[in-house]
Amino acid sequence: MGSGEMGVAESDGASLPSIGTDAMKRRVTYFYEPTIGDYYYGQGHPMKPHRIRMAHNLVIHYALHRRMQINRPFLAGPEDIRRFHADDYVDFLSSVSPEILSENSHSHYRQLKRFNVGEDCPVFDGLFPFCQASAGGSIGAAVRLNRGDADIAINWAGGLHHAKKAEASGFCYVNDIVLGILELLKVHRRVVYVDIDVHHGDGVEEAFYTTDRVMTVSFHKFGDFFPGTGHIKDTGVGSGKDYAVNVPLNDGMDDENFRALFRPIMQKVMDVYQPDAVVLQCGADSLSGDRLGCFNLSVKGHADCLRFLRSFNVPLMVLGGGGYTVRNVARCWCYETAVAVGVEPSNKLPYNEYYEYFGPDYTLHVEPNNMENLNTPKDMEKIRNMLLEQISRLPHAPSAPFQTTPPTVQVSEEEDEDMDMRPKPRIWNGEDYDSEDDDEYEDEKASIRSSGLTAHMRRSAVDMEEDKPDVKPDVHSSSSS
Amino acid sequence: MANESSVDRVEAETFAEYRGNGGCVVEEHADSGDYDKAKQKSLFCQIFSVYLKEDCGKGNVRPIPVVLGDGQLVDLYQLFSLVKENGGYDVVSRKGLWDSVIVELGLEIHFLASIKLIYDKYLIGFEGWLTKTLDLEKEFRSLLCLNLKDKDDCFVPFKSSNIIKHIDLVNQKIDGIGDDDKMVTDAVKEEDDCCMEISAEEFNSRKRKRESLSGMVHWTRHIAKHPIDPATVPLPEPSKWKDYKGGQDFFLQLLKARDILSVRKHAAPGSGSSSQKVKMHPAMYEDPVALGHQSSKKLRCSERLPVSVKSRCSCCNSFHGNGNKCSLEKTPAKPNGVSEKKKSAAKPDVTEKKKSAAKPDVTEKKKSTAKPDVTEKEKSTAKPDVAVKEKSDPTSDDSREKIVSVGHRFQVEVPEWTGVASESDSKWLGTQIWPVKDDSKATTETDLVGRGRRGKCRCKVQRSVDCVRFHIAENRMKLKLELGSVFYRWRFDQMGEEVSLRWTAEEEKKFKDAMGLNIPSQNKSFWNKPSKYFQKKTRKDMVNYYFNVYLIQLRSYQNRVTPDAVDSDDDEVEFGSFGDGFGRKAIKHPYMEFMECSENTQCFDFE
Repeated sequence: MGSGEMGVAESDGASLPSIGTDAMKRRVTYFYEPTIGDYYYGQGHPMKPHRIRMAHNLVIHYALHRRMQINRPFLAGPEDIRRFHADDYVDFLSSVSPEILSENSHSHYRQLKRFNVGEDCPVFDGLFPFCQASAGGSIGAAVRLNRGDADIAINWAGGLHHAKKAEASGFCYVNDIVLGILELLKVHRRVVYVDIDVHHGDGVEEAFYTTDRVMTVSFHKFGDFFPGTGHIKDTGVGSGKDYAVNVPLNDGMDDENFRALFRPIMQKVMDVYQPDAVVLQCGADSLSGDRLGCFNLSVKGHADCLRFLRSFNVPLMVLGGGGYTVRNVARCWCYETAVAVGVEPSNKLPYNEYYEYFGPDYTLHVEPNNMENLNTPKDMEKIRNMLLEQISRLPHAPSAPFQTTPPTVQVSEEEDEDMDMRPKPRIWNGEDYDSEDDDEYEDEKASIRSSGLTAHMRRSAVDMEEDKPDVKPDVHSSSSS
Repeated sequence: MANESSVDRVEAETFAEYRGNGGCVVEEHADSGDYDKAKQKSLFCQIFSVYLKEDCGKGNVRPIPVVLGDGQLVDLYQLFSLVKENGGYDVVSRKGLWDSVIVELGLEIHFLASIKLIYDKYLIGFEGWLTKTLDLEKEFRSLLCLNLKDKDDCFVPFKSSNIIKHIDLVNQKIDGIGDDDKMVTDAVKEEDDCCMEISAEEFNSRKRKRESLSGMVHWTRHIAKHPIDPATVPLPEPSKWKDYKGGQDFFLQLLKARDILSVRKHAAPGSGSSSQKVKMHPAMYEDPVALGHQSSKKLRCSERLPVSVKSRCSCCNSFHGNGNKCSLEKTPAKPNGVSEKKKSAAKPDVTEKKKSAAKPDVTEKKKSTAKPDVTEKEKSTAKPDVAVKEKSDPTSDDSREKIVSVGHRFQVEVPEWTGVASESDSKWLGTQIWPVKDDSKATTETDLVGRGRRGKCRCKVQRSVDCVRFHIAENRMKLKLELGSVFYRWRFDQMGEEVSLRWTAEEEKKFKDAMGLNIPSQNKSFWNKPSKYFQKKTRKDMVNYYFNVYLIQLRSYQNRVTPDAVDSDDDEVEFGSFGDGFGRKAIKHPYMEFMECSENTQCFDFE
């Protein structure tokens, strides 16, 4: 599939009219709690809030703040957290502390067990304020989007997707994502949640498992891996049936393969479900070399997900999540902040307080390693087909009937990507598109263009195989930048 | 009797297995005085690993080694024996003896809750399993004696039954009844004998006389390996097995064993012996809804059974079809299996997985692939299993591990869409920090957005620590100018090595010394009670110093001296894994400016 086709499909009714054809500029709000880096889960614990401070530090040294509004979040109170979480659980979280625990009362012990607080989710100093800041940032991001003040709202302290209604899990205590989505639902009829953390987004999926107002899509390692949920056939229950999408993947997932699943699936979701807002959880443990992860994505490959979703011009909330090799987390979230504001940052890191963390190369990007990709093309194809079929089963968004007229302006997201690096916005013409693969697909693209939108909709999995060459130009353009 | 070398070999293998399988911490026991204790401990480890494997096949994954929040290892053997000595879990809890257990374990008292949890999760089920296994052993033994009464010997003891004997011994030992080291030694000897038995069997030894059970095993294995071997007498249809009377002695024997075992298996869920295994204290389930949650979570576990079963029990692996535990588990009567799962649902083990992922060397999969010292036989069986696992179709139902819980305790209430947007409280916008004023200078300097460092500088020694420090300081100055008060609101003044300015040289040295000592118990109190070490430092100060000064200096050393060694997560290693020897090398390193910068010699001691 040529990139042109993406362009055709992309302007399909999902855009914010206010933005028009200017695909480059997005109003970005970024939430940052300055004390976040001081929270400490405990010695040897892989989750380090310090990474958020490191990411912020890079963002500022790249001067990205000049393109954003940066707010300090309002701390979510127990009442706000109760909008999702069970009362007893919130009471527990807001009252527990290491000092109290050391009193050794039996009831504490029972509660710890009941709420799954202990080993993975330790009680540390400032546990509740940490949760408050994380949740406050995500709710704040939602409010910014609700009010139409921003097109993209970022909260790297958010994205704690494992937290359950009455239970902590996988380093997560309060599910800021669910709280943020609840806020979005006040104004937006349908919200898509996309999760590219290497772990399944079980907390969010579970919370919205029975509703059709939120569609959850999670790409994750599946099979003998935490948290164990996320089977491809777990698709939702009741009116939420088919509104949960799970993409089970195997070790060694690389940029190319990830993209070959992410793009067609998300394209289909955006086409069929037509969400009014999108929430992207950018867990950075799907990066190559993560301490807990097992994928092999580069920072660029990871950020490609954001780039793609951004191109739909739908209000977008961008959240953090996992990520346990802190230097790479900081790299990734800094780069993604740059993608959000539409800047291609230099690969040579500016001098910054945490410069030595990034040695010995001191670069923004890290190369994926040469680990084996255990995802076979056959599996990929099967997964893609199954999921595209599942999404096709959904009724088209009732309030916005499926648009059949080809749009007049064909803005491609590839072009969007290019535009971001160029001084002036321009419309795609392919001339400067640096790729030898391009010619091969010239005919293909032409035929797609002429066949228009509906043709695209019918074509599904088969084309997607041809999507892969698209990755190469991306690499080219990156090396040239 | 087989020759000496085969005995030795088996012993070596068995010990290798302890390490490979159980993952228990068997400490090096150089000291002969500790030898018996170590032997005892290794027995415990072996038995425990059998239990773990068996239980893990039912979906209850418990990572080994057990690590406390601060990275300290918990010695399960010690814990188990201490609690047993004090009369068991219930007695210890009732009498409030946990404090003394904790102290005996050499832990801080605030780990009490964790230790109790660990006991609950790992060892309560283990106790139940021991009891159950012992009963089973008795029954099986009597069965075989019954069937083989025409033979001269009762039966050849085989390894798994032997393990059970050891359990006996260990139990007694732990209970303090038989405080006789000789018993354990005997047990080990006996085990050696039986291992020899096995190895002899594998090496086609001439033990014709005692072929009874091993004969059956051999026969079964042959059938399994060559299902269409013309030499094999065809077996009757499964429907006729019940009435099968004769012809094939081995087959009859096999059928009897099968009957007994499957009866046992079917009865087990009802009798609750397996559910005791992982069941937590009732207090955990005081919430009836939560109970439902726990159970539904595990519904699907049984479906994974066939996969994990194979690699579960290495000692029985070479005896496919010989019965006892292996075949017991290989009879996963589905409906029962499911209901059993319901009962045996255990909460924490699932979250545990993440932890185990944190230490790749203990994850299930790795265990079977990376085990360096597996026996020949196991290698050949374990490998394909893993391959099957990894290649297994992620889209098949079999691969499902857990299902999503549904109920008011899980889902959030999503209001119906009314078409009318409701107001959001503007408090959520928080405090705008940047831009300072709305008519910001954001537009003026956009050309600099996204710019990285420039290529060359005029520093005397480029990329030296001094050079880097100089440029960082330079950038901080610029930033301070641009941001003004925002510089402080974002706490840039508390980022980077400048944090060390708030510490005296003496305090810094103390910090680095303490980090270098790297004894978990010390570290723990070091982090939790900073006042013990520093008069004016809070825990927050320590964390800040750690990330902003200590790690940066460590990394700047690594980047210059051992740049190839930073590919992994060296900046986050637990301090236990720091190597040694680099310190001396570093002192001779030509980058003299580096020497100046890191005035602490301590940091050289770490990799």
